[in-house]
Amino acid sequence: MKCPECVRLLNAYVDDQLEAAGALAVQEHLRGCARCRTRDESLRTLRDTVHRHTQFRVAPAAMHRALRNEYGARRAAPVQPARRHFAWGAAAMATLALALWGLQGAVERPGAGAGRGAGKVVYHISSSQTASAALRTLRNHLDASPDTKVVVVAHNEGVDFLLRGARDESGQLFQTSVQQFRARGVDFRVCNNTLVRRKIGSDGILPEATLVPSGIAEIGRLQENEGYAYMRL
Amino acid sequence: MRFERLVLPHLDAAYSLAGWLVRDDAQAEEAVQESCLRAFRYFDALRGDEARPWLLGIVRNTCYGLLQRTRQEGPPLSFDEDGCGEDAVAAGAVVSFPLNPEAAAIREADRECVHNALRALPLEFREAIILREIHGFSYREIAATCEVPIGTVMSRIARGRRLLQQALGERGASEDTGT
Repeated sequence: MKCPECVRLLNAYVDDQLEAAGALAVQEHLRGCARCRTRDESLRTLRDTVHRHTQFRVAPAAMHRALRNEYGARRAAPVQPARRHFAWGAAAMATLALALWGLQGAVERPGAGAGRGAGKVVYHISSSQTASAALRTLRNHLDASPDTKVVVVAHNEGVDFLLRGARDESGQLFQTSVQQFRARGVDFRVCNNTLVRRKIGSDGILPEATLVPSGIAEIGRLQENEGYAYMRL
Repeated sequence: MRFERLVLPHLDAAYSLAGWLVRDDAQAEEAVQESCLRAFRYFDALRGDEARPWLLGIVRNTCYGLLQRTRQEGPPLSFDEDGCGEDAVAAGAVVSFPLNPEAAAIREADRECVHNALRALPLEFREAIILREIHGFSYREIAATCEVPIGTVMSRIARGRRLLQQALGERGASEDTGT
């Protein structure tokens, strides 16, 4: 074995990741090559230094608690029976462009539960560009199926339309639409993690919206505990 | 409660990995929450009882999604993964760490220096080294988690360590390709 080959294998060697034959060959080379022995030594020093200074970080206690409450007591089943009660209005189906986040079983297939119950849907809005379209979709949805309970969870850039003074493309205040939806029973919930990260104070959001600690956890909770169907818009 | 027994004990591991990948506490928390939701959804896909690599794979993918959404990370690495050229070193983010020939050996490098040097590594190198050093993954497990061939793992770890040696002020490390 020559030096370049030894150098190529040296990291795997110090990490004990070489097959026996490879490790033997490196050992053999190291016996006869002082330069590579220095390399070996300095790699081990670096490895140990990095290892010593990087321990696990303990996740915040509040997060431990929240996730334990969230998932601890629950049965992990791919489809919860509650979701079967979601009714898909045919008209709503025609207008909804659904992005289902690639999650199997997150939402029942169209028609699977048709005619049973009014349904509960959580809209996930995570981009400021789609907010107007999402509200249009929501309006069509409620027109076609007025008894549907809808919760809108805004997260990341999706919170923008719920900020005070935010306007849509035609210059109309979003607040007006939000108030109309509130009157139709729609809840708007804003992810506090997003506000913290983007350094937005809670007084910056519309009074019609409420804060939840985590938009994602809220979506999970609504789906798992309350039988909501999920839509990302 | 299989999910609770198998997955929840790895929350700290998940949070640690997320923290190193997204480099922001609030985002790391968000990534872990989102990952748990996905893990819960896909729980049926878990084979056997070893949930940690599986969960960390989900965390890793979630973090990539999050970084993409928030556009925090620069464009993906474009240089030849399998080469040993100096372009990798030149492309690294360690330029902000002045090389100090008089610096003490890395043996004495303190925690903060190590952390800063790690945080400055390009994402692909950082994740390979974090999975190896903090989570004790084998090269094979890293390859599976990052969905790259094992040769790429070898080269990412080698390059990542070379950048770390450079950042931590070890003399000669930058020229050392064994040629």
